[in-house]
Amino acid sequence: MKISINWLKEYVNLQNVTSEEIISKLNMCGLEVEDEVNQNEIYKDFIVAYVKEKKKHPNADKLSLCKVDTGKEELEVICGAPNVDAGQKVVFAPVGTLIPKGNFRITKAKIRGIESSGMICAEDELELGDDHSGIMILDDSLAQGTPITKALKLDDVLLEIAITPNRPDALSHIGVARDLAALFNVELEIPRIILNESSTNIDTLASVEIDDLINCPRYSAKVLTGVNVKESPEWLKKRLTNLGLRPINNIVDVTNYIMYETGQPLHAFDLDKLKSKKIIVKSTKSETSFITLDSKERKLQPGTLMICDDQEPVAIAGIMGGENSEISNSTKNILIESAYFNTSSIRKTSKTLGLSTDASYRFERGIDPEGTLNSAERAAHLISELSGGEVAKGFIDVYPNKIERKLADLRFSRLEKILGYIIEGEAVYAILSKLGFEIKYQSDEKLTCAIPTFRPDIEREIDLIEEIARINGYENIPTVNKINILLGEKKDESKFTDELRNIATSLGFFEMINNPLQSEKTASLIGNKISVLNPQSADMAYLRTSLIPGALSVVSKNINVGEKDMSLFEIGNVFSKRGTEVDIKSFTDFYEQQKLLLLITGRSSNKGWNSSEKFYNFYDIKSFVESFLAKISLDNVLEDSYYHGDDRFFDLYFTKNYLKSVIGKGGRLKKEILKHFDIDYSVFCFEFDIDVLKKIPLKSKRYLEPLKYPKVTRDFAFVFDSSVNYEEVLTFIRKSGSKLLKSVSLFDLFENESIGANRKSMAFTLEFFSVERTLNEDEVEKEFLGLINSITKKFDAKLRGN
Amino acid sequence: MLSERIQIISSEFGIDISKVKDLKDLENLRLKYLSRNGIIPLLFEDLKSASKEEKPLLGKSLNELRNYATNQFDSLKENLEISSSAKEDKIDLTLPGIIKTLGSKHLLTQTLDEIKSIFKGLGFSILEGPELESDYNNFEALNFPGDHPARDMQDTFFINKEFLLRTHTSPVQIRVMSSQKPPVRAIMPGRVYRNEAVSSRSYCMFHQVEGLYVDTDVTFAELKGTLVSFAQQFYGEGLNYRFRPSYFPFTEPSAEMDITCYLCHGKGCKVCKQTGWLEILGCGMVDPNVFGYVNYDSEKYTGYAFGMGIERTAMLKYGITDIRVFFENDIRFLKQF
Repeated sequence: MKISINWLKEYVNLQNVTSEEIISKLNMCGLEVEDEVNQNEIYKDFIVAYVKEKKKHPNADKLSLCKVDTGKEELEVICGAPNVDAGQKVVFAPVGTLIPKGNFRITKAKIRGIESSGMICAEDELELGDDHSGIMILDDSLAQGTPITKALKLDDVLLEIAITPNRPDALSHIGVARDLAALFNVELEIPRIILNESSTNIDTLASVEIDDLINCPRYSAKVLTGVNVKESPEWLKKRLTNLGLRPINNIVDVTNYIMYETGQPLHAFDLDKLKSKKIIVKSTKSETSFITLDSKERKLQPGTLMICDDQEPVAIAGIMGGENSEISNSTKNILIESAYFNTSSIRKTSKTLGLSTDASYRFERGIDPEGTLNSAERAAHLISELSGGEVAKGFIDVYPNKIERKLADLRFSRLEKILGYIIEGEAVYAILSKLGFEIKYQSDEKLTCAIPTFRPDIEREIDLIEEIARINGYENIPTVNKINILLGEKKDESKFTDELRNIATSLGFFEMINNPLQSEKTASLIGNKISVLNPQSADMAYLRTSLIPGALSVVSKNINVGEKDMSLFEIGNVFSKRGTEVDIKSFTDFYEQQKLLLLITGRSSNKGWNSSEKFYNFYDIKSFVESFLAKISLDNVLEDSYYHGDDRFFDLYFTKNYLKSVIGKGGRLKKEILKHFDIDYSVFCFEFDIDVLKKIPLKSKRYLEPLKYPKVTRDFAFVFDSSVNYEEVLTFIRKSGSKLLKSVSLFDLFENESIGANRKSMAFTLEFFSVERTLNEDEVEKEFLGLINSITKKFDAKLRGN
Repeated sequence: MLSERIQIISSEFGIDISKVKDLKDLENLRLKYLSRNGIIPLLFEDLKSASKEEKPLLGKSLNELRNYATNQFDSLKENLEISSSAKEDKIDLTLPGIIKTLGSKHLLTQTLDEIKSIFKGLGFSILEGPELESDYNNFEALNFPGDHPARDMQDTFFINKEFLLRTHTSPVQIRVMSSQKPPVRAIMPGRVYRNEAVSSRSYCMFHQVEGLYVDTDVTFAELKGTLVSFAQQFYGEGLNYRFRPSYFPFTEPSAEMDITCYLCHGKGCKVCKQTGWLEILGCGMVDPNVFGYVNYDSEKYTGYAFGMGIERTAMLKYGITDIRVFFENDIRFLKQF
């Protein structure tokens, strides 16, 4: 919200305080100043100038060539505004001036061949309004050369303050001034009004009835007769434009002015447009259509709180008035509404309509129910001054159930327990009093106070503690330099995934973090997708069911920028409903699982002076998975299954299984999947279910003494039928070998014509040893020959080299 | 006399060997002194003609000379052979080494790791919670009333009326407190979602670290001390800090913590929007209403909570100006850190 420092100073005596000090105090009391516009600084170079002469630019139809008198010199200036003319006083930016809009500096520049020495300005260029239809024309009486800060009284400092939702009271100048009064320990001075009322009693002119007291607990009104609707005086217009508001007329402007002064939104009705001069506040029973004063037709849900006259709605309560009762230039008699509405009713209507106004913003946060009448009187007073209208005698104030001030206790011991230091009772008393709390009782232990109705955020002791802490200054709370450490059990639920990350990076993988929000198409590839009710776009309307699609988008993007070689991993959650038709009503209706994805594509090694180019293949992803499992001691715990053929993602793949259930799956991605991501290269990946992986019980590691006795190795190679696979042979050798056979490894594999069609050769190295003794050649030789024999028989294989 | 010649030859050998530069010189040295017709064997010939009385003594010194010369020769030969083999094996030592690529964790993970290790040192556990949360855990139990404008502070992705994508890591506080009795001291990192338009400054998801400490005597002063200690460890000693009052429904009093802008050192620049300060986290004392939801006795226990965005922290620390960089996963970015 915009706040003017000049305006604030009308309520607190801070004449000798700089704007920097005020800003600093506001920041440190919870009213965060997000932006500051110091007009003295911004407008320091602009001056009043006199247009002495205007000619058409010889080379451009729409440009004028003006001779401008700046009081010091005469300059030739080119102006594009249609309304510029000789004899005008204008706002002039000499060469070197920084223009607020667009933040550019005026330089001497040739425009269509003629040099221009400065700029005649329009309102929007100075950010004084949004009018760009022509230049600003100033009062003739201003002398050329006068600084604009003086001529237009642009001497304010305007602040943009971020008001947190708990502080509706600070949505006004008096509210902010109240905090300043407490912070600087000065008095808050609220203007007193002496109303000059006519002899006509208000009751003879209008009446108010509340039908829905829950949503409208209070409705106050004042009536003025014989007003003259016209433009507001300069001072009022400036107040409003400084805050970014557009002046309309002296009636509407006053209502806005009072709202920014007291925080009470007001609405002025043309009393003669109210049928039977009657206001009835009630909620709609059925869907209603209504035209608001911005000339838009609004559809209103049943239950919308409306201000009505004797026959029809005239305003959406607390949000916006209606076109049918709007103040016009011919309006003579007005009724000023100053009401207190239920916060949630206004919020609901504002949300449903998608219509948030200065008024609704304040009502839904909570205004001061005690302040309605005062604000109405203040407005009546000002309007009568500015419009010549007469204030009718008395007021209307329907307020059957008075909202009482609540009481709250504060124990000084509690204050210390929360903050960690002692604040003296006197200081506490001063702070609370300055903030408008009425201290009803005070002892050495505690105090009881009545909470002002403009502070709906305060009800409890802790709320009072916060008030005291923030006004006394958080900087005064000590900063401890030692803490106690608990010696109990400490958990680290991220330990396992941290370990997985360490392994992945040691294997050369780079970590990605992808957006779990995906398109319907990619989320549909596997699982039962979960949709977002209010997505930003169709691309992000579903939660991912696998880490693979997100990773493929990354592969695709990297290939597009010329990076084709990647080994990537991601650890992240995937989401799936427990059934396609399931409605999520509890945590058991869906899965949120943590997954690990390893992905490789492109080259595993580059062509170099001592290396040749190699591309990743199926066996690379397989060996990465093996290395991974070995590192977490799960290499001999899981079983493999291998598949050729159809899967959603893969054409060649394998799974890792624990107790018959699949806990990881991966291989070569199918072409059609890759095509969806515009990838023309082979991509291999493997996805693990971390939640399951984490739960597999591990045997604790034991030390193994290094071998003391020599190993004996033997090699053999066989020609097999090509249908025989490696794992079959391996399993057979392991099973047939004795305890002495400790390892079997494949060292050569080939298929070619020389060994015959549909044949392949596999060569193995066998390693024999015992941890207890040295083996003798004969026993190894015997077992080796036996193995040759049984392999030959079992697979109808032929020993090579014989 | 022979004895004099032995001495002379001994010193001449010493001079000659000191001039040897390569194996060729050494071979010449050998030919001159040690070969069959070299000076030393010839001296042995001369010994034959020496008198009986002189023989044993001269023989001894002659043997010493020969041993000395042979030893000197052998050790020099060994040294020269080693250096000459290196010279002869003319490999180009300036050729590039063979690079083994190490992978790396995402910069956000690295940043989080650093934060975790600091809080582990301060005695915090590390706990986690789900991203798809209930409205109850994410809002209600954190003292966000159903129709309160405070809910507007966090634009939410809803799954339905009761479930949503968590907008902050604070629901993990509720999960932790609902499942254990005080004392509780833990940080809770994780991914959160906000329905905000994607731009250089905001993304539809990001990461936070939540912190919570509840015990019988936890004060705002301790909150300040702990967070200042964290900031000094993370951002470096000697920084200036301030705590400003703020508002979060689940803490009261609430604060935001600022540190001096690391770029301009407090003078004011674009990054700190001319304020000289950078906001690094939100914090406060746990609101008694939250204790009510988890059945903690708010008269007996007090606690503090804090939360910080990891992206923002990493952006500040590494000078990243566009949050989207983190989630594009451009391999050139990933390899930088």
